Amino acid sequence: MFSKQKPMWGEKTQLKSSYDAVIIGGGLHGLATAYYLAKEHGITDVAIIEKNYIGFGGAGRNTAIVRANQRTQHNVPLYNEALKLWPILTKELDYNLMFNNCGNLNLMHSEAAMKAARMTIATAQFHGVESHLIDAKEAKELVPALNISDDITFPIHGAMFHPPGGIVRHDAVVWGLARGANKYGVEIHQQTEATGIKTQNGKVTAVETSRGTINTKQVLISAGGYSAALIYGMLGIKLPISVLTIQAMVTQPLKPLLNHVVSSGAYHCYANQTLKGEVATGAHMDQWPNYTTQNTAHYIKHQAEALSEFLPCLRGVKFMRIWGGLADMTPDMAPIMDGNEHIEGFYMDCGWGYFGFKSCSAVGKYMAQFMAEKECPEILKPFNYRRYEKHQLMGETAALVNYTPDN
Amino acid sequence: MALTITCPICGKRNGYEFRYGGEDKGPRPEEAGITPEIWCDYVHMNKCVAGVQKEWWFHKDGCGSWFSIHRDTTTNLEVKGPEADK
Repeated sequence: MFSKQKPMWGEKTQLKSSYDAVIIGGGLHGLATAYYLAKEHGITDVAIIEKNYIGFGGAGRNTAIVRANQRTQHNVPLYNEALKLWPILTKELDYNLMFNNCGNLNLMHSEAAMKAARMTIATAQFHGVESHLIDAKEAKELVPALNISDDITFPIHGAMFHPPGGIVRHDAVVWGLARGANKYGVEIHQQTEATGIKTQNGKVTAVETSRGTINTKQVLISAGGYSAALIYGMLGIKLPISVLTIQAMVTQPLKPLLNHVVSSGAYHCYANQTLKGEVATGAHMDQWPNYTTQNTAHYIKHQAEALSEFLPCLRGVKFMRIWGGLADMTPDMAPIMDGNEHIEGFYMDCGWGYFGFKSCSAVGKYMAQFMAEKECPEILKPFNYRRYEKHQLMGETAALVNYTPDN
Repeated sequence: MALTITCPICGKRNGYEFRYGGEDKGPRPEEAGITPEIWCDYVHMNKCVAGVQKEWWFHKDGCGSWFSIHRDTTTNLEVKGPEADK
């Protein structure tokens, strides 16, 4: 992976002693921001520094689901734009991102859940996002494998159907954006750990790394689950974040049986069939903060029980792989994008929880605009860091089951 | 990730019996002269340490005690606290 061979995105370059902008974290948000900085704003003297390899963190560990049926007015337009960007990016990057807009079916297991879904759907429709409420029979027509009988733990009352959502090949997005950004001159430095940010008179002056100091006036921390620890460690800024390990797994490959992403809040489980035929499934988060990304027998059992109830045809199917990633959860389940305030030239993009993948395209575009114009774009303003002390939490938590610790 | 927690009353038990109660942020701030910033810092803000942190736990499926321990968040293992805390 770190051999002397040419990396997949382009030529290998020497780390310089200064750049116009430095991005800490070679994940999707960092790569997308660099791509748009170079493409839309002509800021091409950019270094992405990545401790491990690009796509090591959440970018390569999420379950690849994209959708725009969030709950609140500020979130829906951002995710909707992100969703609409997949086909555009596929063309722009000239890279097959394998966007499969198979639609998302979110199962509801009580009348209260149906009521909550009605509100979410009204919000989606108000913002021009296609989303419908359907009953159990219609859900069964969409996904014949569903068990809609009454004799399961949480019988299905109906579902929220969001046809424009689906699945995108997450690794392809990493590779496509890396190549796309590099084409405009962005440098990617793997195996380079950021160890500090230097400031002088309230302005960013340099980034300290394991391979020396890089002088720069602008730095973005978009390091996924590691962002909060980095931001506190480097600048002493505390964030309303709890970092939890989230687990996922895939079954052995099967013939096509699921042509929509199916998810359930009550069972705390979602499943989609990848183009290879594996059923990718997940949702469980450890209920205490940790950075282990390890798996638990507790969860494998939970997942098997949940899946074999609402998709009984999966009984006896074997799990093939299991993994974990980090989710940086905020109390209102919405991210924090802010910067250039206390410290001139410092930007942060974090708190995405498990929404970092589905948002990366649009966020890259707007974080790039933020860094280029040094003025927060309207669409990102509601996600500011000060909203917590102003009691302006976003209320994305309607369908929350029992994610802890803070919410 | 598997975790065991040592409850001061029940001893070492499976982590799933407990509810995490947040980072130990010291005493609740005084009400007199409190600002939204101080309150927000106490209620919401975390250090998210990748390493040893002091934190609260509640033995929800056990004796109901609230207590604090030191744990390494990168290994999920309880550790002895620094001398100052003893």
